[in-house]
Amino acid sequence: MEANILGVNNVTVQFGGIIALSDVSLEVTPGTIHAVIGPNGAGKSTLLNVISGIYSATKGDVSFEGERLSGLAGHEINAKGVARTFQNTELFKEMTALENVKVGLDRFHACGVINSALHTKQWKKSDAEADEAARELLKLVGLGDDETSSAGILPFGKQRRLEIARALATRPKLLLLDEPAAGLRAAEVEDLIAILRELKTNQGLTILIIDHVMALVMAISDRISVLNFGHKIADGAPKEIRESAEVIKAYLGEKAADAYST
Amino acid sequence: MRLRIIFSVLGIAMFFLIPKLFADYNLYQFCLIAVTSLIVLGLVIVTGIAGQISLGQSAFVALGGYGAAILATNWGVPLWLGIPLVAVLVATVGFLLGLMTLRVEGHYLALTTMAFTAIVQLALVHADAVTGGAAGMPVPSFELFGKSLSTGAELYYLIVPITALLFIVVINLNNSRTGRVFAAIRQSEIAAEAMGVNILVYKASAFAASAFLGAIGGGLLAILVTYLDPAQFGITQTVYYLAIAVVGGLLSPFGAIIGTTVFVFLPEFLQTFQTYLGLVFGIMLLGFIVLRPKGLASLIDIENLKKIVFKSRRESVGS
Amino acid sequence: MLGQLLASSVTAGAVYALVALGFVLIHKGTGVVHFGYGDQVTFGAYLVLIIQFLTGLPFWPAVIVALFASAFLGWAIYNGLMRPLRNAPLLVQIIATLALGTVMREFLRAYMGPNAWSFPFLLTSSSFDLGGILLVPANLAIVGVSLALLCLLFFLFERTFRGKSIIAACDNRTGASLVGVSVSGVFSSIWMLASVIATVAGILVAPVLTLSPEMGLIGIKGFVAAILGGFNSLTGAVVGGILLGVIETLVGAYISSALKDMISYGILILVVLVRPQGLLGILSVKKV
Repeated sequence: MEANILGVNNVTVQFGGIIALSDVSLEVTPGTIHAVIGPNGAGKSTLLNVISGIYSATKGDVSFEGERLSGLAGHEINAKGVARTFQNTELFKEMTALENVKVGLDRFHACGVINSALHTKQWKKSDAEADEAARELLKLVGLGDDETSSAGILPFGKQRRLEIARALATRPKLLLLDEPAAGLRAAEVEDLIAILRELKTNQGLTILIIDHVMALVMAISDRISVLNFGHKIADGAPKEIRESAEVIKAYLGEKAADAYST
Repeated sequence: MRLRIIFSVLGIAMFFLIPKLFADYNLYQFCLIAVTSLIVLGLVIVTGIAGQISLGQSAFVALGGYGAAILATNWGVPLWLGIPLVAVLVATVGFLLGLMTLRVEGHYLALTTMAFTAIVQLALVHADAVTGGAAGMPVPSFELFGKSLSTGAELYYLIVPITALLFIVVINLNNSRTGRVFAAIRQSEIAAEAMGVNILVYKASAFAASAFLGAIGGGLLAILVTYLDPAQFGITQTVYYLAIAVVGGLLSPFGAIIGTTVFVFLPEFLQTFQTYLGLVFGIMLLGFIVLRPKGLASLIDIENLKKIVFKSRRESVGS
Repeated sequence: MLGQLLASSVTAGAVYALVALGFVLIHKGTGVVHFGYGDQVTFGAYLVLIIQFLTGLPFWPAVIVALFASAFLGWAIYNGLMRPLRNAPLLVQIIATLALGTVMREFLRAYMGPNAWSFPFLLTSSSFDLGGILLVPANLAIVGVSLALLCLLFFLFERTFRGKSIIAACDNRTGASLVGVSVSGVFSSIWMLASVIATVAGILVAPVLTLSPEMGLIGIKGFVAAILGGFNSLTGAVVGGILLGVIETLVGAYISSALKDMISYGILILVVLVRPQGLLGILSVKKV
């Protein structure tokens, strides 16, 4: 088996007396789309927040390409190649779509404070390059015509996709998506599926996705992990998950699971 | 590009024309506007653009002014050297103060920076051996190449170019990565961090920049007013700077100039109502923060103007 | 010597405690920090003088009218200013309260002049001897009123339905309004109560300090007291205030009088950095 790109090793997260995650482990294989599903309050978002460094694990650790991520700050984790989107979209609302993407891109097109302060030729060149790269990313997610719109006034579906473009701008190897399909219309979910497939096949990106929308999860995932009340209750290919009694119980209750198995 | 050249030529022509057209007193006023707008610019950067509330601006101004004056009085360091030297030191202090944002934000940041201002003011009162205590100290005259500058016109040629240069630097930086990251931090700290931005360093840098501008402004202000006393640098003064920034427009470097111009010229028009001046300023601050929190600069939509200019150019290229 | 120092430091501390109580009440109750509260305390004391000028009333009736007027002022501040700004960014709210304080201070400067006014003591200011320690009834009144207010607020918050609905309204505005608590009504009454406290504090403090438009600077000491005690704790406000008074007096007497004022601001920064929840406060966990 191929070495994993992301390893979550026996992670427990506790807030005061509440246990949000309990001894959760999972491994993500490079170049795959790995989904984490589970009912509300199962600890999915907590898991993403631990990986991206917003929360720290009470016990256990997270490794990325064999290096420990636990203890690093959010920006250091991003620099290692992990980018993310947010469940309730955290766009820079007063900036244009293009500027949002450029915030992520800028560090690859830096040219020093003095060049920036004087807007020298060199600065103009690197700024134009950044613009070009940002436009490419916007086109990739289907926002080619929206570059000058303020992020805050874009329709919801486009805001979601802008978050993906912005995350991609930091040139990640692993992309974490926090419920990217929540609240999207069916047609928009189709668009999203196409984008994620494109990222996986043509850009070789590894994606860890959290979502409720089964149409999306079942369509694109190579592997699915299921959380319930902070515990991992199942892990496997989409087909196995669909037939797991444990999972059906978590979602639909005990009786449904019994009815299903008989 | 051509537009830019036209503006630059116009600006330089105006710079040399103004001293011929105005009385010395008016030139002194222009100097006062320039210096105050530099101080307010610092506040625009840290509080307006980067979104970190600071009530410490008048402390930075005090440190800049007193620092340069003390160096000149006690150690004979000329002001032209002392002002930038002290400003760099004050910027370091600002950076350290900014590092507190790791643990402090919102209300607490406002309170801590307020306490910083109070401490600096008290230190000025009690360190009377070097500061002259509550009575204050005279500022040595500004000498350059053996000539001492004192009239409005002489100071105009010193202060206005420095101010213009610093404004250009700030406006350019605001339109590049630095400004974008500051704005990103204001709009969503959590997303900025996830985009690989070391937000602590950037927030501290915003404080350092505001401290630097405040200190340069303080040094130049010392030359203008020729006498420093602690009463000029209290919390009331900090709120006054904040009021200028709010009325002018917290989000734009131009807001600093617009606000300062209003606050320097308003007393001229209200001469018969001198007693109500403070009240008028207070009401303006209150009125703007409630009804128009983005200030006068938001009435002149600079971004929109830019878009119009760029768009028309792009279209003319396309056609 | 030490006993006498402590006795007078408790007075200073009680002044801070009174101001801190008002802050904490507004902050605990409505989530807003009133940066102009110190100026409102000054305004409250002036209000008595202004009412006397306008109506020619004797002192005590003027005090009663002033208390009613300040309740109205609190109502007006909430409904005219803070309620329209309830969804505004924190920065805007902070600047608005700062501006409110500035307007009050500058109004007093313009209308009543920049100079100090004399203000009568509520109780006699001539001291009496208690076991070798000189005590001043006027100062004792400040201590007494602070403690009485604390008890009253404590009772109000913890023991009455109104108090519980206030706490509910602060914790969860939507939830509280769902179960029939009028959030704006609750917030309105908090502002009225805090304004009355400001006026009471102003009336007690004005003769001890000097009543001029600048007296509002006492507000900062109130902040320090509130932070020291814990910004959400009423008891903490009083404990923090008294503690601050004691520390200041002892530092002033035994170390250096120059350090006396600086120490309190130093304490503010230290507490905020090391123990932001204060001595008696509870740290709330932020949700991402």
